[in-house]
Amino acid sequence: MRGHAYLVGAYCPGRSVVHRAPLWLKGLLLLAVAVACFAFPQVYLTSAVLAAVVVLHFAARLPAGRLWQPVRVMLIFLVLIAGYQYLQSGPGTAWQVVAAIMATVLASNIVTASTPIATLLDSLERAVEPLRRFGADPERFSLTVSLMLRSIPFVIGAFDDVRDAARARGLERNVRARTLPVLIGTVAYARATGEALAARGLGDPLD
Amino acid sequence: MSHVLLQEASFSAETSGGSVRIILQPTTLELSEQRIAVIGANGSGKSTLLRLLNGLLLPSTGSVSVDGLDTRADGGAVRRQVGFVFTDPLSQLVMPTPLEDLELSLRRRVKSTTARRQEAARLLQEYGLEPLGGNSIYELSGGERQLLALATVLAVEPTLLVLDEPSTLLDLRNTRLLRSRLAGLNQQLILSTHDLELALDCSRALVMDAGQVVFDGAAADAVAHYRGMYS
Ligand SMILES: Nc1ncnc2c1ncn2[C@@H]1O[C@H](COP(=O)(O)OP(=O)(O)O)[C@@H](O)[C@H]1O
Ligand SMILES: [Mg+2]
Repeated sequence: MRGHAYLVGAYCPGRSVVHRAPLWLKGLLLLAVAVACFAFPQVYLTSAVLAAVVVLHFAARLPAGRLWQPVRVMLIFLVLIAGYQYLQSGPGTAWQVVAAIMATVLASNIVTASTPIATLLDSLERAVEPLRRFGADPERFSLTVSLMLRSIPFVIGAFDDVRDAARARGLERNVRARTLPVLIGTVAYARATGEALAARGLGDPLD
Repeated sequence: MSHVLLQEASFSAETSGGSVRIILQPTTLELSEQRIAVIGANGSGKSTLLRLLNGLLLPSTGSVSVDGLDTRADGGAVRRQVGFVFTDPLSQLVMPTPLEDLELSLRRRVKSTTARRQEAARLLQEYGLEPLGGNSIYELSGGERQLLALATVLAVEPTLLVLDEPSTLLDLRNTRLLRSRLAGLNQQLILSTHDLELALDCSRALVMDAGQVVFDGAAADAVAHYRGMYS
């Protein structure tokens, strides 16, 4: 199930204000978005934050399609969560929770789209460097993060594959037929990535 | 030159039925020639043998070591020394673009960001891939991908390179290109292949059948033996 041309989470070159902003500032704003959305779960605040994130997306001159892509990946989960919250606590909470997730995901999407992977890795490594004497391995940490980013397009592709396969067998309404293969595929992908790193002697702790 | 030693190394796997199947019979081998080929039918155990060499698989019994480093006890050190090239280059590439993938390989060896980028660009050029550095790896042709996969493994400067059927997915032109690339390398090579010409480029060849090494000798003799098995 490997082989998807999607480049979500990939860098979109550009010269916008967002591209030129230092990475620490982008990281701080991302953190602020997450804290505002999840520590202060209020409908108006979360809606305003989501609107601000969308404005930033266009300020970074990122294609409109990249707003929709990450949402589409999570669509099944968003609908399930919204449905559950709607029944438990009503429409306000349902919207707040979904908007909070979307705002945070879109904000991290802006960070990865406006920062080359190499810069991201180097900065992460530097940020974790002081923790080395407590046993942290900055190189492995940054590698792990970059591979998480790299897995996003794969998971999106897997959802598409599985949807097509389910459709071909008339199972498109079967949630299990649509999610289980994605899980299995994702585990296989993680395994393959581990092997790909082992093949280059990367990913083992340096002793 | 690396010195690879298999001592009574075997590999078995549990089948879904619950019984244990021996995929590689206990094998004792010393591999230190510059070019070694492994040939044999599909399912004869070539990939299993090769995967044992850098610890992608650990032996079920016996041991495998490279220059005295045991793949079980010193897996990390063995892997830094032994690079592995898969049949399918997409299994090898983990970053979105060729340039980023090469930079990933260089992270440990080249610490400065600018030097790393320069070195990655130089490697792309060496492999004739520089116009494609920023493209998606999915936009490369099969031949370009296999060359890139080779480049990313070589970028970590292994002393021994293991290649599992590196030309099986390539057309004739790209197979030739890969053969001449491999011929020009200083590294020690151990490769499995169905391409008997590629096998004949080696000085020593092993023939495998049903999980066993059934012939071990000069490449020309091994190829003759292999042909004889099916005539
Ligand atoms: N982990 C495993 N579990 C069960 N069977 C396996 C496993 N790995 C390999 N095999 C089987 O062992 C045999 C040898 O496999 P392999 O080493 O890939 O052969 P080759 O590379 O020569 O085609 C094949 O029949 C394969 O299906
Ligand atoms: Mg094989």
